[in-house]
This record gives sequence, structure tokens and C-alpha cells, in this order.
Amino acid sequence: MEAESDRVIDARGSYCPGPLMELIKAIKEEETGKIIEVWSSDESSAKDIPEWVKKAGHELIGVFKESDYWRIVVRKTK
Amino acid sequence: MEKLAIVLASGELEKIQAASIIASVASTLGNEVIIFATMDGLMAFRKDIVEKKAWKTAGDLGKGMLEANVPLFIDTLKQAKEVGNLKLYACGMIMDMLKMKIDEFVDIFDDVVGVSAFLGMVEDAKVIFI
Repeated sequence: MEAESDRVIDARGSYCPGPLMELIKAIKEEETGKIIEVWSSDESSAKDIPEWVKKAGHELIGVFKESDYWRIVVRKTK
Repeated sequence: MEKLAIVLASGELEKIQAASIIASVASTLGNEVIIFATMDGLMAFRKDIVEKKAWKTAGDLGKGMLEANVPLFIDTLKQAKEVGNLKLYACGMIMDMLKMKIDEFVDIFDDVVGVSAFLGMVEDAKVIFI
């Protein structure tokens, strides 16, 4: 069962690095432990955002493919 | 933590876009990132050019970027400065030569520096020349 997100960022229609930069801003603003998800219609962002999350040390809850976009769900861990 | 410096000497949109994306993302991952804008790379930040989106492009890809909903380097760099450790410096030599003032450029630069100051800043950095 997927936990409910505290914040959803709809970055569909934007391209790299738009969705990633939106996510980073949200992570910076939210408190530790919060779950943030970003929606991207850009496949390269869907592949690259998890790489950023890993490198930045946050938790990737998952990448979920919807009809024509991806939901990338992240927990801020620090 | 690594230190990354980019010498941005090209005014071609494609190259500036690539440089700004690499610099911005690196600056959000605990790296200290410095961009030194010089030559045509500095001119790309002129207010009149930015307002008209009148950048030089290498070809169709750059033109396509201007038509598509691609985040442009100015916005990407501004976002990175808010959330990451990114500093931008304008080249003093070019500004002296062209008798330009910093307020003729978009409000994104941390300072105007010369080559000696820049070299001092990047002694312990990886330097990429674009």
C-alpha cells in the first residue's frame, strides 16, 4: 500500500531539468519525513530524478507509470 | 564535497543550456559550483538579449528549444541559486572593453571579477571550459 503524499508537484509538460528543480525546491521547503511526489511527462526526468534522489540521500518510494506520465515519489530523509 | 567551475565562453544557446543544467544539478548535490561568464557567454546574459530571447543558436536544436516548453538557462540558474550552492561571476575584462555596467545584464551575478580572481577561486576545482 502506497503512503499518501504530503505534496504533489505537477510538472507535466516541462522538460529536464524542470521537474527535478521543482522537486528539489519542494524538498528544501518541506520538513524531514514528508513525502513529495512529482509528476513528469518527460521520460528522461523520470529516469534521472531517482538518480538525484539516491545521490542526495533521500528515499525513493517509487516511480509509478500512469497513462502518459510518471509519478516519482520521494521521502525527505534529512 | 567537490568544487566545480565552468568557464562559459560560448554564446550558443545549446551550449549554455547544457552548462546551466549540469551546473545547477551539481549545485544541489552538495557541490560548490562557480560559473565564470566571459566572451559571448557573458553577452548571453545581456538584458536586451534575454528579453527578446535573441540568443545565437548552433542550429535547429537551439531553435527548437526556444519553441518548446524547455526551461531556459536563466530560470534554471536562478532556481539553482535558491536551492543550491551556485555562484555566477561576470568577466570584468569584457565589461571594461565594451564599457558595460553590471546593470545591463540580468540580475543573476554575484560579482564582477577578473581572471586572477577567478583562477584563485578555482585552484581546487574541476574546471570545465564551454
